[in-house]
Amino acid sequence: MPQAVVCVKPIPDPKEWDRLSLDPETGVLKRAGISTVINPLDKNALEAALQLKDRFGWTVTVVSMAPPDTQKTLREALAMGADKVLMASDRALGGAATLATAYTLAALVRKAGDADMVFCGNMSLDGSTNQVVPQLAEFLGLPHASHVVGVETEDGSTFRVTVDLKDALLTLQHSGPMVLGLTKEANDPRLVSVMGIISAQSKPLEVFSAQDLDLDPEKIGQKGSPTIVSGLFMPEIKRRREILSGEPEEVVDRLIDGLREMGVL
Amino acid sequence: MANVSDYSGFWVFAEQINGKIADVGRELLGKARELADSKGVEAAAVVVGDLTEDEVKELISYGADKVYLLSHPNLKLYSSLTYTRLLEDLVNKEKPEAFLFGAGPLGADLAPRVAARLNTGLSAHCVDLKLNEEGGLDQVVPGFGGSLMATIVCPNHRPQMATVMPGAMKMPEPKEREGEVVRVDVGEVPSPSPEIVEFKPKERSAVALDGADVVIAGGWGIGSEENWKLLEELAEVLGGAVGATRPAIDEGWAPEDVMIGQSGKTVHPKLYIGAGISGVMHHVVGIQDSEVIVAINKDPKAQIFEVCDFGIVGDATKVLPVLISKLKEKLGE
Repeated sequence: MPQAVVCVKPIPDPKEWDRLSLDPETGVLKRAGISTVINPLDKNALEAALQLKDRFGWTVTVVSMAPPDTQKTLREALAMGADKVLMASDRALGGAATLATAYTLAALVRKAGDADMVFCGNMSLDGSTNQVVPQLAEFLGLPHASHVVGVETEDGSTFRVTVDLKDALLTLQHSGPMVLGLTKEANDPRLVSVMGIISAQSKPLEVFSAQDLDLDPEKIGQKGSPTIVSGLFMPEIKRRREILSGEPEEVVDRLIDGLREMGVL
Repeated sequence: MANVSDYSGFWVFAEQINGKIADVGRELLGKARELADSKGVEAAAVVVGDLTEDEVKELISYGADKVYLLSHPNLKLYSSLTYTRLLEDLVNKEKPEAFLFGAGPLGADLAPRVAARLNTGLSAHCVDLKLNEEGGLDQVVPGFGGSLMATIVCPNHRPQMATVMPGAMKMPEPKEREGEVVRVDVGEVPSPSPEIVEFKPKERSAVALDGADVVIAGGWGIGSEENWKLLEELAEVLGGAVGATRPAIDEGWAPEDVMIGQSGKTVHPKLYIGAGISGVMHHVVGIQDSEVIVAINKDPKAQIFEVCDFGIVGDATKVLPVLISKLKEKLGE
């Protein structure tokens, strides 16, 4: 059976980001107590793969580089319909920039066996770098397309992929594996059913260390990352903050006077 | 690892779509020029496409000492594999210390692949670039939707690569300057693979948000397509452009290309008016360089009131008609 490999990243729930803070002493990000969810666009990637499963009987394998306590989140991908999860979990993988992340994910994709298509979310909402898709493709030696708004196939072997370049739409046609970065325009991810949740419990979820994957220690984690975060800071906002309330006529008069004082009218 | 001292000069990838060089390339040249001047090195632009010397030499006036032109009919349309190979060769030959890309869909798709090929670092969606004490590039990027900013450095690998949000750098004034267009021999160029079977340019929205002096933005709180017309009317009165937040675009009230925020446009108008916008950091990161920020929202606890100069607590659909009529009256005086 052909196989679709889907990259999934567990991220801190965007609904709780206002609770993120920096430790004033160390400058380290505090994210304890914030729940973990599947990166939303990765569900679009999963949906694209699951449609190939529904239509042509493909196997759907999820790969993820994540801390071990995110297994529960990854089970959700199994509940949606994926067949198995291969997870890389190792302290040595921590602090990875996109280059080291892509290198590690490429090893997981190879571990999954022959991938006939690799689907990813176009970006993760927490990092928002847009970088893993092209870099994963580079490590796998495959073509890629990001900002994908449509994936179509008649026969499960030739694919038409539509990319949104903002000023134009570009449609590619290709037979053979690619790495695709899906946006939320690409499809509507299915919801998890009760049956899905039950069957997910018995599906395989394998965890690999860096050594299991024969990863080069120079290319993973912080060591394999050419970029370093040299500082984190909360954006500083200095504004006048004159808050007006009352009847529209009054507040609008005050606003217009204020804007004139500030020289923008 | 690269021998860092072998690398010199600040490069900009000036992307073209359909033969038109995108503004973000010109914006980045302004910054590259400034960085190059403070180190006494060259700034250069790189253009890949099917273009003539005459079509690219304008980039000299925006700050390029050199414009590397890689031109061939098969380069007219973007192909990540071909473009990556050409940029890899050029970087390895000329060795720039930094290479900046626009963070639009083309730059964001190409730069990571080039960085992986060159085994170097790439920061994403920078909002600021400055030199640090070691002469390296401090790259400021938003994380977690902008609720946090991080400074990224790339100490031991070259070139230092970054994608920069369109609009994040000010458009420089074009000046009469010396410079040259260097035509790079691209050799045989295969037609794009994967094959491009369709290329459909999109229609542009009426008033460009980039560079607008006044920006009127609407969010989910506007409530309907009918009410959205109030924003357009206000923009017309003030000679501005209309932008939107993600939820308003999802409702279909505004086109995708006017989204303001981390994954959309960054604006820096003299006056920004946000109506029915709650002010999540994703949006705020795209408006924070506005000179004056006005917020209208009926929820007194809306986050946007934390970052505004004037905040009106009230229903935008009731406040806007009054604002429009009073402005018409007073601006007519």
